[in-house]
Amino acid sequence: MEAIVVNNLTKHFRKAYDKTLKGFFISLVKGEKRHQEFTALNNVSFQVKKGESYAIIGKNGAGKSTLFKVLSGIIYPDSGTVNVHGKVAPLIELGAGLSRDLTGAENIRLNCAIFGLDKKTIEEVYPKIVEFSELEEFIHTPVKFYSSGMKARLGFSIAIHIDADIILIDEVLAVGDKDFKKKCYAKMNELRDSGKTIVIVSHSMKPLRDICDRALILDKGKVVEVGEINEMIDKYQSDKKTKKKKKQKGA
Amino acid sequence: MIANIKKYKELMYFLVHKELRIRYRNSLFGFFWTLLEPLGLMLIYTLVFGYIIQLDKGVSPYPLYVLAGLIPWTFFNNSVRKGTRALSGNASLIKKVYFPREIFPLTMLISNMVNFIPAFALILVLAVVLGHPMQWSELILLPLVILLQALFTLGVALLVSILNVYYRDVEFIINLVMRAWMYMCPIIYPIHMLTGAEVSSTVKDFAGLYFLNPMAVIISLYHQPFFPDQGPEIKYVIYTVILTVVLFLGAWYLFRRMNRRVGEVI
Ligand SMILES: Nc1ncnc2c1ncn2[C@@H]1O[C@H](COP(=O)(O)OP(=O)(O)O)[C@@H](O)[C@H]1O
Ligand SMILES: [Mg+2]
Repeated sequence: MEAIVVNNLTKHFRKAYDKTLKGFFISLVKGEKRHQEFTALNNVSFQVKKGESYAIIGKNGAGKSTLFKVLSGIIYPDSGTVNVHGKVAPLIELGAGLSRDLTGAENIRLNCAIFGLDKKTIEEVYPKIVEFSELEEFIHTPVKFYSSGMKARLGFSIAIHIDADIILIDEVLAVGDKDFKKKCYAKMNELRDSGKTIVIVSHSMKPLRDICDRALILDKGKVVEVGEINEMIDKYQSDKKTKKKKKQKGA
Repeated sequence: MIANIKKYKELMYFLVHKELRIRYRNSLFGFFWTLLEPLGLMLIYTLVFGYIIQLDKGVSPYPLYVLAGLIPWTFFNNSVRKGTRALSGNASLIKKVYFPREIFPLTMLISNMVNFIPAFALILVLAVVLGHPMQWSELILLPLVILLQALFTLGVALLVSILNVYYRDVEFIINLVMRAWMYMCPIIYPIHMLTGAEVSSTVKDFAGLYFLNPMAVIISLYHQPFFPDQGPEIKYVIYTVILTVVLFLGAWYLFRRMNRRVGEVI
């Protein structure tokens, strides 16, 4: 049984353009194209099995967050197909789905509602989320006053409590403190063992070896290779090293 | 849309509740602000346009006339202005989670409507206090007028909210347009001013086009129960209903289409 099936996914972005009507009219008069296209995901295909833990590794700008955004429906692909079986909890980049002006408590309720929980369930999971995040003291403070680590705590706690089948975790743990990271990795192991599908983007390879079964290497929007986690990480790291060496030689 | 509304009932409730609470949290008069604002404007307009510029000919009592037009106008005005930022003001959410984005303009409209209903009751209270006669047969049709206005407003809000994501200056244009639009509606002056003897001939030439403005028709419908001679002709009402439906469907279609890139350009 597959949880995620992606076939020949391609996504172009338009490079930032003048977001005004003036810009629109000027380019209309000049008859030029208003934006350059940029390929963020290029013919990406892969599958994630149900209950599997899957890592996506790649450099900054490789398209990892873009891929997650397509998987969770935030942006539309230009071509290719994306099939996701089950409810997705996306934790994309810092501040995942948190509204700055709302308090932590309000953000919990808002996010639960976004993921379709009803009132009763929200009241049930609310204390659990607060407890896991260890933010009791700050829960009535607006999120704009949270540190990035606190936002990560809140985001992660919400994502694991909304009863999703698939959890996408994008670098959110990079800013957490050691203890919380430990707790999260333990939780991820627990979730995986209970049959949830987890897809992780991370630059800390050690925990990935622990948690994940397989990995995909993404480079400049293209899939380089898919395979067993340790193999992929070794390959990724040796690739990096050889590139560095080449550079040194060149210089 | 209906299926989404059911599925996201809790979310819509939350957003409406939040909108209302934020609006009243920091103000001393709380909920009464909704009532005090139009009453204050009514006083100002009565002083300026009734006594000083004397636009009050033929509609008496003038304060009631002003209030009956001003309150539905305020509903429209607030909804459109807030509607412009309904999506762009929620960028942090839209970039990180998916849910149907039309929920933002929709909940914005609902929370404005919640403010509008008690303000609307104020018109009735004023009419009773002033002992002004009311046309009951037309009064009971007002819920339909409110519905018509809500649909028209939602159409406009959908349109401006999505356009403002792509072109940020829509917000500034809208501010100007709304001001002009208000003077194109019978709020501070009665409609027979347009065809009266003292009016210049250019105004008379364009008077025939006046009711092509759907908001002029809608505001006149609100006047009708209190000032029967200020109501619009039935052909203009039919025109407005058709226009509203077309606008709403068009706005809906455009919203759906432009929604596809909202997640990346916002
Ligand atoms: N909304 C956007 N509009 C235009 N370009 C974008 C947008 N989002 C990302 N990009 C570009 O797409 C590329 C991949 O970005 P991203 O998926 O965030 O990379 P990462 O693998 O570091 O998460 C980057 O070059 C980035 O500049
Ligand atoms: Mg990223």
